[in-house]
Amino acid sequence: MKTILIVDDEYLIAEILGYALEDEGFQVRKASNGVKALAALKDAPVQLIITDYMMPLLNGEELARALRKDPAWRTLPIILMSGAQANQGCPDLFAAVFDKPFDMDRMIATVRDLLGN
Amino acid sequence: MTHELKRLVTGIEGLDALLRGGLVAGAAYIVQGPPGAGKTILANQLACGHVRSGGRVLVATLLSESHERLFQYLGTLDFFDPALVGDQIQFVSAFDTLEQEGLDAVVRLLRQEIARQKATLLVVDGVLNARARAESALDTKKFVSALQGHAAFAGCTVLLLTSARMEEGSPEHTMVDGVIELGEHMVGSRAVRSIQLRKTRGSAALSGRHECLIDRTGMRVFPRLESLFSHPSQHGSCTPGRVSSGVPSLDDMLDGGLAAASVTLLMGPSGIGKTSLGLAFLSASTKQVPGLHFGFYEPPERLRNKAASLGFDFRSMEQEGSLQLCWQPTTEGLLDQLGARLIEQVDAMGAKRVVIDSLGAFSRLAMEPARLNAFFRALTGELRARDVSVMLTWEMRDIFGAEISAPAPDLSSIVDNLMLMRFVELDSSLRRMLSILKVRDGQHHTSPHELIIGTRGISLHKAFEGASGMLSGTAVANPSG
Repeated sequence: MKTILIVDDEYLIAEILGYALEDEGFQVRKASNGVKALAALKDAPVQLIITDYMMPLLNGEELARALRKDPAWRTLPIILMSGAQANQGCPDLFAAVFDKPFDMDRMIATVRDLLGN
Repeated sequence: MTHELKRLVTGIEGLDALLRGGLVAGAAYIVQGPPGAGKTILANQLACGHVRSGGRVLVATLLSESHERLFQYLGTLDFFDPALVGDQIQFVSAFDTLEQEGLDAVVRLLRQEIARQKATLLVVDGVLNARARAESALDTKKFVSALQGHAAFAGCTVLLLTSARMEEGSPEHTMVDGVIELGEHMVGSRAVRSIQLRKTRGSAALSGRHECLIDRTGMRVFPRLESLFSHPSQHGSCTPGRVSSGVPSLDDMLDGGLAAASVTLLMGPSGIGKTSLGLAFLSASTKQVPGLHFGFYEPPERLRNKAASLGFDFRSMEQEGSLQLCWQPTTEGLLDQLGARLIEQVDAMGAKRVVIDSLGAFSRLAMEPARLNAFFRALTGELRARDVSVMLTWEMRDIFGAEISAPAPDLSSIVDNLMLMRFVELDSSLRRMLSILKVRDGQHHTSPHELIIGTRGISLHKAFEGASGMLSGTAVANPSG
């Protein structure tokens, strides 16, 4: 079973997205900011990250940059969810970018594509 | 030796006046009120204004609506610019930290974020959840105190938003520097928003409840005029002198005209000629002494036509900048908003002659009629302080009759000159009568005069000699000899 890490400080969005992905047969882990996400990756590997942009301590872009520097995570696919700040960040860091609120079916289809399901 | 506290200007119309210059920079405030009272709008409007003046803002939520949903609603308001979000304004949720790790961890997280974002304003939305997570009142106090301490150390002002109405003795209240309460109450079938500063350390803020509104531009606050101008904001020139009423024969009755920067009230029933006298008064306006008509009932074009029928060319006067017709076609609004608008118009054009037609429109907007006397006193006081000569009209309810209704009690504190206009039935004809009841610091003819309004303008002449009872409207010819 493939594992996805959802990184979002907004509890409700992480919850809703998590349930949707679990329904599709994925295992889901959550972290509420980039620092906690890096710590979670040390505990156990994941196959994909879906991250918010604006978060405390380490935002989505900073998280992606940190991962790209680490050979272990350099190729890990990362999806960015962003809100009003959609045009911010560096798109090259991300496999896909979704503006919130996003279409859940499209998100799941993108996840499947990226994981080769 | 006293010193001035550094202020964070809110940029919200009227709120800085209420706070006497803005929030105290580095201080902590609670913004409380029921859902829908406008807390989020106030905080975000303040945040956007703060960013535009060079500040940086951190908005931390402790379980509230999602940020994206908030952005959608804020996107309908003029002050909100999504481009500011993610850079100068950071929105973060601290709910997970609150739930998993408790209040101390939230304080730690926000302290780190204030430093990381170099925030000069911190907004914490959902403070009630912090209280719910606290094990005792002391925990809540410690949370507020720690947050306030860290923020103050970083030079960051704090707004704590809560939908609970926290009482004065609550742990949160005791720890903060100020409490801003927003509310909404019904007056008849109208909903009126209000704002009240329940606690303000370090400033002689305007106490009591003030009206506010929320529209496309965001929140606007209208301090109670009598509170804002409890003392006139400036000293008038106090130059003695006379100004023409615009009617030469009335000037004769007034021993040369009205005192400069005085307030004259014209009282009379509908159709008696109050508006016409007001137009005559404005006809004496010049570029150096501009006039303003602040009216409620007749649109500018009708006023121009009416003026033309009296021989006054208002259109040309408007074009040359000696006159402005400011129409307020309002059936709903706020009393203090209207007062503020009038003062603003007077200041904008430097008006020295103002006609307000009529005071009744102000009275109808008053939620608390008991305020009217103080309101009018403050309004006329401010106009006098600007060396404005004012003519007010007041429509009396009864066309005939002995009863005289006044706009407010204690008229002498509001007006300097009082003129009563009545229809008089005498010798089977209906005539207009004007009587000067009072002139402050001046001589005047005391006998009632007949008012003639026609294509050749307005004039007054002695009449009704040998008759009595004119003020009741039903004159009786005294038997001669």
